[in-house]
Amino acid sequence: MPRRALSLLLVIGLFIAACGGSATSVAPDESSDAADQPDTSGEQSTTLRIALVDYTDDHKVWLEEEIIPTFQETYPDVAVEPIYLNWGTLNETYAGYFATGDGPDILNLGSEFISEYGDRLLPLNEYFADWTDLEQYHEAPLEATTWEGELRGLPWLVMPRVYMCRSDFLEEGGVSGVPQTFEEAVAQAENTTVLDGSTLSRAGVWTIGTDLQDWQEYIQFIWASGGELYKEDGSPNFDSPEAKTALEFMYNRRRAVLPNETIAALGEAQGSRLATDEVACLWGNAWGAPPLDDPSWDSIVMGPSAHPEGGEPIVQVFTDWLGIPQYTQQPDLAVDFLKLLGNQENQARYNEIFGSFSPRKDAEIENPIMEQQATLMAEHGRAFADIRAAARFSEILQAELPLYFQDAQDIDLTLQNIQDQYTQALQDAGKL
Amino acid sequence: MESPTTHTLIWVVATVIFIAVSSLAIGHLARWVARLSGKTLAFQERTFAGYAFAAPWLTGFALFVIGPAFFSIYWSFTKYGLPNPPEWVGPANYQRLLTDSAFRVSLLNSLYMTVFGVPAQLVVGLGLAMLLNQAIRGVRVFRMVFYLPVILAGNAAMLLTWRLMLSPNNGVINSILGFLSNAFLPFQWVMQLGIYVTEISNAAFAGLQRGNMTILENTIANGFPAADRLPLWYQSPLWSKPSLVLVGAWSAGMMMVVFLAALKNVPQTMYEAAEVDGASPLQRFRHITLPLIAHATFYNLIIGIIATLQIFEQAYILTRDGGPAQSTYFVAYYLWRATFRFNEVGYGAAMSWVLLLIILIITLVQFRLANRWVYYETK
Repeated sequence: MPRRALSLLLVIGLFIAACGGSATSVAPDESSDAADQPDTSGEQSTTLRIALVDYTDDHKVWLEEEIIPTFQETYPDVAVEPIYLNWGTLNETYAGYFATGDGPDILNLGSEFISEYGDRLLPLNEYFADWTDLEQYHEAPLEATTWEGELRGLPWLVMPRVYMCRSDFLEEGGVSGVPQTFEEAVAQAENTTVLDGSTLSRAGVWTIGTDLQDWQEYIQFIWASGGELYKEDGSPNFDSPEAKTALEFMYNRRRAVLPNETIAALGEAQGSRLATDEVACLWGNAWGAPPLDDPSWDSIVMGPSAHPEGGEPIVQVFTDWLGIPQYTQQPDLAVDFLKLLGNQENQARYNEIFGSFSPRKDAEIENPIMEQQATLMAEHGRAFADIRAAARFSEILQAELPLYFQDAQDIDLTLQNIQDQYTQALQDAGKL
Repeated sequence: MESPTTHTLIWVVATVIFIAVSSLAIGHLARWVARLSGKTLAFQERTFAGYAFAAPWLTGFALFVIGPAFFSIYWSFTKYGLPNPPEWVGPANYQRLLTDSAFRVSLLNSLYMTVFGVPAQLVVGLGLAMLLNQAIRGVRVFRMVFYLPVILAGNAAMLLTWRLMLSPNNGVINSILGFLSNAFLPFQWVMQLGIYVTEISNAAFAGLQRGNMTILENTIANGFPAADRLPLWYQSPLWSKPSLVLVGAWSAGMMMVVFLAALKNVPQTMYEAAEVDGASPLQRFRHITLPLIAHATFYNLIIGIIATLQIFEQAYILTRDGGPAQSTYFVAYYLWRATFRFNEVGYGAAMSWVLLLIILIITLVQFRLANRWVYYETK
């Protein structure tokens, strides 16, 4: 075959092959009665993508059937595409978005992320300058989303983590209420734990995180012991007595529940462990608690963290928020979407579905359980914020803590490793 | 604003143009080389056509395999955290590997899986193949059933199912073991002994791995397992790797297929002659079957080692993020963690090259040793 003809054939063949896939993919839109339908694909020439984390089915329905259509009444030419993610893989997913500059226009972020992503998010002071609703937001959650003097996102929910205990199990174990000191907490864990031979039937205490080795809870106990994560020069403070006291307490409490590491721990959760009688006390929030209308709430009492002598009770408060990455090509649209989500009605509805608190001052709390949590938050709340190099820090703690709790290394080596690795992480991130 | 349709169309057209141009360029280049070599005109035309049509794949290979590999080598000598540009640091990443205790742990975990996991798969694969080599009714159905895990093994849903099945507290496997243990006292004794041996040996391994015998001391202090003790599977650092060995053995269907094909090729006359000579079934297996399927064993061994040294999904899903106390930190998992969780792309790249080197060395050693035990009929 002549070479030119062959070249031509090759080009045509490749072109047809490439177009073939495209033609097939658009075929469903080109139905026989397409001429009678409005050309929606032409209208929605812009897509606003939103990354949302751990959305429940109810939230998805609310977003897709109420919020997005409302937004499109103002912007009929904009398609809104929610992208549902989970906390477990968030850091690597977001790292990819920021690295490539290609990702959602709005990102769902957690309390500790401001130091991680603050300088890569759009400064919003100017965009929200004329939005009077912002005055209705509590100061603390706004502070948690502020970086270098600029608002970097809109607080979305506020959620405290408290100790929820079944009063019937406490009574059975001879415990009068939610334990207040470290000693009481260890005794409570021991007295309310039920072992069936080598199997744990009921845990005196458990967490919604990584059973009894949760890194966020460890930070809470450092604070409750009167310690801080950082020294005055900004270096990590894991060589402090408070860091050791907190870790020792967590180990002792673990041993009160699991006398040794040969005990088979609780299986996978099938709903709230409080409602399924698997735990006497649970450190958690709406995720781990029974639904607010569950009858088990009649026998649930709540309290802040235990603390050692000279310390203070703590309720860790987590703020989830929505930020706009600097790579977005449509900041105005993203800001308008945030303003829609952030109005009084939508904030109230979202948090009502979730069982969390609206960050707005004009939010009404009617449920008595929520009222009690609000009181605990007001009295003992401390924002889970100012966690520097958060992604790497959480990984360090999640790697090192279990080594101590599961008897693979001693407490001094564990704390030394955390101190060394976190120092390096802060240096690498330019934060030390 | 540019619409998504226009954006897609631009990329499609650009891709087609790129493929066409690169194909023609490669075809012309091949033709030019043929002409320089003094080939005939017809040969030159055939060369052009062959290379032009193969060019899209050659281009893809260069772009998506060779290119990233070269970048990866370069990055391994840099400090590279996205989105910042790479910064040349020389061999620092490789030097750091020498002192990184987590890397040492992951390397030893990978070797553990190779030493215990691969032989387990070989034994199960060969055993199944021998069973399925019998003339029994429904053998094709059994072959399909035993091959299914190969397709499902790395599947996230399947690994989550294994996680539920292996739940120490209420999983189906421990429920069955518990029932058998209560029903048959000898089974209970064997299981207690098995638990004791597994925990002591794994604690010793973990202690040596970390240079810290705390875990072994505690395991010994716990004493001989109580009568109601059951395996702790993914909950305990002493059981997480045996759990993965078990799951690996369950998915030995690929090895089974290779063994089955080899077994079909063993001449029946050899067995008959041996039988006449008075050889027992075990002797026939030892002196006829094993030598004549050695090439299949060798193939399975090489493929098994390479796959096991790259184990990732099981550590990530079944034992959750590297398992309890880093007990299922494998090299592939750790390099992923360094790259994507810690955003240390350069360090992760260095780890990947070290892993490649290890696989290469082990494979070469195996090939050298193969001359001593692998028999090829065509030789």
